[in-house]
Amino acid sequence: MKEKNLEKVEPTRDAKVFVPTPDIYEKDDSILVRCDMPGVAQDQVDIRLDNTELEITGTQAGDKPDGVDLLAGEYETGVFRRKFNVPQLIDRDKIRARLHNGVLDIELPKAEQAKPRKIEIKTGDQIDKEVD
Amino acid sequence: MYWTDDRAWAPFAELQSLQREMNRLFDGRDGGTAMSRFPALNVWGNGENIVVTAELPGVEVEDLDLSVVNNQLTIKGECKADKPAEDAVCHRNEREAGSFVRTVRLPYAVENDKVAAKYENGVLTITMPRHEATKPKRIEIQTA
Repeated sequence: MKEKNLEKVEPTRDAKVFVPTPDIYEKDDSILVRCDMPGVAQDQVDIRLDNTELEITGTQAGDKPDGVDLLAGEYETGVFRRKFNVPQLIDRDKIRARLHNGVLDIELPKAEQAKPRKIEIKTGDQIDKEVD
Repeated sequence: MYWTDDRAWAPFAELQSLQREMNRLFDGRDGGTAMSRFPALNVWGNGENIVVTAELPGVEVEDLDLSVVNNQLTIKGECKADKPAEDAVCHRNEREAGSFVRTVRLPYAVENDKVAAKYENGVLTITMPRHEATKPKRIEIQTA
């Protein structure tokens, strides 16, 4: 389950990197990726598509409440990062993302040539008529 | 809930992953049994206030139910599973959904009617001021 293809470049900031667990759905005309990103503000999300590689990065605010000390810590904050290989041709100008209640939804529309096309099957009669 | 990546030095990675797997048996949204450890909470505090934060992505505010009785805080809620579109085919479903209950005991009783809660970007923050009656009082010593 753990992705091994994470880049081997050291991060400059000392923040923990978490691998978000996504849901991936496919429709006829698009691919939908949904990730949990609690504590990430809208402007802290970075989505990059490099050829067929989709990289999602979200930096958590990780705000410490004022004037109080941590008594019991069960989770840590840091950076969410995950890469995917996206097989189909993606129309990169039309990628849309939406962040709501800490859940990131990314819609990757397929390019025209990658969409499934219905192929008309002509019967013998029709072909004869066209020849006429 | 999440995995860290493997660029950190982890000599006992295998052991840790086994431990994580064992913990995960008890960590899921299991409807709130006594062993429930979901959601993970960070508890902050000083002599005057207690602040509890929890990561609860994808929960609607109306599906959250908080209650405070003396020094017990209960967080109840439901994470609804919703498909992004009716005609979508699922390739991976790694996000969990379900209901959860968690009760924590706070270090002191709090003012029930002054509890403030905020839900922002999937993070729930509950601020609870200490109950007046439980605050330590300085006792003057009178000399004869």
